[in-house]
Amino acid sequence: MEIKEINAENLTPREINSQIKEAAKDYDKILIKNPNAKHYLAAGVVDDTEIEFDGSVGYFAGTMCDGAKIKINGNAGWFVGDNITGGEVIVEGSAGDGAGQGIYDGTVVVKESVGSRTGEIMKNGTIIIGGNSGFMTGIFMMGGRIIILGDVGDDVAESIIRGVVYVKGEIKSLGNNAKFDELTFQDSLELEETLSKYEFDIDDYSKFKKIVPKSTRPFYGH
Amino acid sequence: MCGIAGIVYKDKKLHNVGNDMTNMLHQLQHRGPDSAGYSIYGGTGLKENEYILKIQVKEQKNLLEEVKETINIKTPIKEDEVLDSVGDSFIYKCRIALDEFSQLKPLITKVDELENVIVINGSHDFEMIKDVGSVLDIAERYDVRNVKGTHAIGHTRFSTESGVDRYHAHPFQTYIVRDISVVHNGQITNYWKVRDPLERKGHVFETFNDTECLVHYIADKLDTGYSLEEALEQSVEDMDGPFSYIIGTPQGIGIAKDKLGLRPGVMAETDDVFAIASEEVSLREVVDTHHVEQISPGEVMVYEI
Repeated sequence: MEIKEINAENLTPREINSQIKEAAKDYDKILIKNPNAKHYLAAGVVDDTEIEFDGSVGYFAGTMCDGAKIKINGNAGWFVGDNITGGEVIVEGSAGDGAGQGIYDGTVVVKESVGSRTGEIMKNGTIIIGGNSGFMTGIFMMGGRIIILGDVGDDVAESIIRGVVYVKGEIKSLGNNAKFDELTFQDSLELEETLSKYEFDIDDYSKFKKIVPKSTRPFYGH
Repeated sequence: MCGIAGIVYKDKKLHNVGNDMTNMLHQLQHRGPDSAGYSIYGGTGLKENEYILKIQVKEQKNLLEEVKETINIKTPIKEDEVLDSVGDSFIYKCRIALDEFSQLKPLITKVDELENVIVINGSHDFEMIKDVGSVLDIAERYDVRNVKGTHAIGHTRFSTESGVDRYHAHPFQTYIVRDISVVHNGQITNYWKVRDPLERKGHVFETFNDTECLVHYIADKLDTGYSLEEALEQSVEDMDGPFSYIIGTPQGIGIAKDKLGLRPGVMAETDDVFAIASEEVSLREVVDTHHVEQISPGEVMVYEI
């Protein structure tokens, strides 16, 4: 495996991204040292390359990527993995608001807790949160899966139209158009398959609560 | 979009917080290019009845003498200096003594009555430094990196609601309770509903900037027996709009975030330091940890020494 190392210490996000895109054509893996929580890192990468950040990243890390496997050995700011259309973004630490916002496909994994509005307006794909997720998780969800291993805040799945939210911990309240559904054996198997792939060790997969839309038709006002 | 930051050294000793806050704010420069400012607490070394005044004076013949005379009529100036600035004005800084804190606002009002003169700040336990331009330029202009203190709050401004000038740069302060200042990211959309009852109680508003109503609101609560934490919690109930803001007091700092969490805020702490900021990139200047906590919608955090 050919690895390209980029030292981001004295580079602007634009310069870092240019170097990542150039390296993605020729290398299997790109290792970025000293990302220093800068914004917009690894935006719009369309090659199936591995990208690893040795530290924290800022806002919109991995936004609009398609197929890249991004690993962040630190925390992420707001909107990590925003609008990806494939591949995966794995955050070893925590993340801010809007993790996995608007994703079309692929997987966003945050090993620790995240802020609010996780998976807002997502269309497909999977978001996994190892810790807690805040207020309005899954707001305007239009498809895909969100899996929360910790607790979740108020108004889960507010105005959800399609998709499903699984929660292992406590749920503060459900949002409009969200309801509980029975967890099936098939659901448990899918959860086990998905979570074990990302090295989450769950003792009982039948303990998840499942949240789905009441109505799958758009609705306006109450 | 604006950037806000706060830092407290837990040992209550003097540290280079001017330097720390400059580094924190420089990392938040992209959140606001218009102006920047600091409130640096704990390092003024003033006697109990002493205050610093910072006054913007236009370059105009005899105007500075008029300013000095206006102050001297009320109380003798003990020490003063002129700080160079940008534009057609300079900053006149002086040290005075007053029998009561309540005499400070009337004095400031008197000085403000002079044409082309604006009092930027009057304080006892903190030094306010604010101006238009970039963080690094302001830090150099006023030698901020060498200002010592126990804690500080700071701001980079992206103006939305009012003019871009030195006076409208954050922090804002109040003269109802001594040494309370605020930095703010966001908008208070029920501004008039908050301002009106405060004005009826005697608070004097100098601007139409929504941040000013925050500092009056908190001062009013502190003045009526609320703790800082209680005042911040009540503000989350009473204020509408997207906001996160940091209050500085002689005892410490506190942050409040709106109920929908529409403005960012993160916190990190070590055994030595408690720090809050709009973004992790700013925290990393002063805290060597990967453990960063998101401040939740409607959440309030206070650290007092």
